[in-house]
Amino acid sequence: MGGSLGIIVDITLNSLVLSGVFLIVAIGLNIIYGLSRIMNMGHGALYAVGAYTGYTLVATGLNYFAALIIAPIIVGAVGLLIERTIIAPMRKRSMVYTLILTYGLMFFLDGMIKYVWGNKPCFIDLPAFLQGTISILGTQYPVFRLATLFIIAAIMGGLMLFLNKTRIGIILRASSTIPEMVSCLGINMNYVHMGAFVLGSVMAGVAGIIAGPLTTIDPLMGGEMLISSFVVIVIGGLGSLRGAVIAALLIGFVQTFAEFFITDLAMVIVYILMAIILAFMPRGILGEGKFE
Amino acid sequence: MNNTTTIPGIQKGYYPLKILIIILLLLGLGLFPFISGNRFYISLITEMMIYGLLAMSLDVLLGYTGALSFMHNAYLGISAYVVGLFLIHISPTSLWLACFTGIIFTSLVALPVGWVQVRTGGLAFALLTLAFGMMFHTIVWKWYGVTGGDDGLMGMPNPDISLFGWNLGNTGNPVTIYLFTLIIVTICFFLTRRIINSPFGAVLEAIRENEDRASFVGINVRMYKLLGWMLACILASIAGALFILYKGYIGPSTMSAFAGAGVLMMVLLGGLGSLWGAFVGAAMFIYIQDYISTMSEHWEIYLGLVVIFLVLFLPTGFVGLGEHLKRFRKG
Repeated sequence: MGGSLGIIVDITLNSLVLSGVFLIVAIGLNIIYGLSRIMNMGHGALYAVGAYTGYTLVATGLNYFAALIIAPIIVGAVGLLIERTIIAPMRKRSMVYTLILTYGLMFFLDGMIKYVWGNKPCFIDLPAFLQGTISILGTQYPVFRLATLFIIAAIMGGLMLFLNKTRIGIILRASSTIPEMVSCLGINMNYVHMGAFVLGSVMAGVAGIIAGPLTTIDPLMGGEMLISSFVVIVIGGLGSLRGAVIAALLIGFVQTFAEFFITDLAMVIVYILMAIILAFMPRGILGEGKFE
Repeated sequence: MNNTTTIPGIQKGYYPLKILIIILLLLGLGLFPFISGNRFYISLITEMMIYGLLAMSLDVLLGYTGALSFMHNAYLGISAYVVGLFLIHISPTSLWLACFTGIIFTSLVALPVGWVQVRTGGLAFALLTLAFGMMFHTIVWKWYGVTGGDDGLMGMPNPDISLFGWNLGNTGNPVTIYLFTLIIVTICFFLTRRIINSPFGAVLEAIRENEDRASFVGINVRMYKLLGWMLACILASIAGALFILYKGYIGPSTMSAFAGAGVLMMVLLGGLGSLWGAFVGAAMFIYIQDYISTMSEHWEIYLGLVVIFLVLFLPTGFVGLGEHLKRFRKG
């Protein structure tokens, strides 16, 4: 640890990393919500599945970067299975039922994680060149966290390009605004909903494998992340992608600084901040449903 | 359509029969501890009644105002902690004052939370109940000096239940607490029924059906939603006071998200929007939980599967099965 400047740099970078993880999970939730009007309570559990899958892949001797690609694909496949079996039949029903349904899904997935991987915390082994530290402005900062920041930036950039430039991305954005019109143009909305759920699940899986080496992997991680990402999307505005960016940065910074200064009750500060913001901006910072 | 047309006895004009059934049921429950000396079943039924009250309070919220709360058990927990702390630190004998303090304190906590939640409304309301519930859970868990943290609140005294100077018995006695719970829960049930069947309840249902139209008619939607929320929280806090008197102990796990899902499942099992269904659901849930948790440690998987099954195939619960049938016969 360097001087006070070093500590500030340290905390700031940690905040950015945490914000990035929040952002990817929250964007996944927002994509599903924005396109299908389904709030997936099992999203946190999918994030945990991503982390555990990554752990198993790396433990079997696979390169971390290969796992970074394979684990999200596996989580996406799980997402596809879930969508086809239980989410698709619920499409026409009231939102309360989907919420409760996915809440059940969350317990099922959490239980399965405990059943398959047990209750013990796990750690992902990193390749040697990511394990060192690098000196930035008087602090020794882990290389891996910096690499994580670049990976997150790359994923977000890729997602933006995907949504703005590709044909599929344009269909997705159009479906979030006027689904009837899109289906009139001869596009099967079933595939759009399916694609949205799978894309959201893949995002959860990516976040899981990125966060895996940053923290210990334990069965509680899914629930904690679920609540944090709810706070992020509610503050940012449900279904709003830009709002999620702002809210993720806000919550990431507040949580990291609060944890540094008062450790135990840090989350309470975050919830109180959330309550204050919502009391004055009930629809979130950017309002609901701006899918851009 | 629904093919399960085998349940008989649902016809018009069964009103006196219904009253008779209620009286017989209450009589049976009231006499139960004197007939059967089995302490295990007396405790189990006490727990069923307390959780039934909690499930009923959630049913008021979900079934009548249409607002979903994932962690309604948090309000049971807050009340139980306050009653316990009051009895331990302030006065070990004044039971009524302790319960009163618990209910007032819970209302004071629930009011600002409800104020924020009502303004966001809809889906955000549901997500916020989870966030606030986790906040209370974290506070109780980490504030070791007051709540005892992970160990929970211990060393509860057993005050006497007395009314107008007349001693009814000690709360340490399972039979006394059983009868006390039965009386309080019955009063709460009929009171809630009366409230729900009043114009106030009709307004809540109108808001549930269509918020915009309700506000066009001149109803202050936020105000009524807040009142509905407060009613549900006060009922939960009464259940909390009963809970600590019955158990003599409360730990943070009572306030966890897992326990919250259990309460939600009780309501689903019983069926939304019928107050007595919540009691049926709670009794079923506690019995099943008692049965399965002794057999398997992976109780979460089964809980998840049952919830998924219920929502997919039986969204109206077991009570709703009958209602559905009635509507089907009327055509």
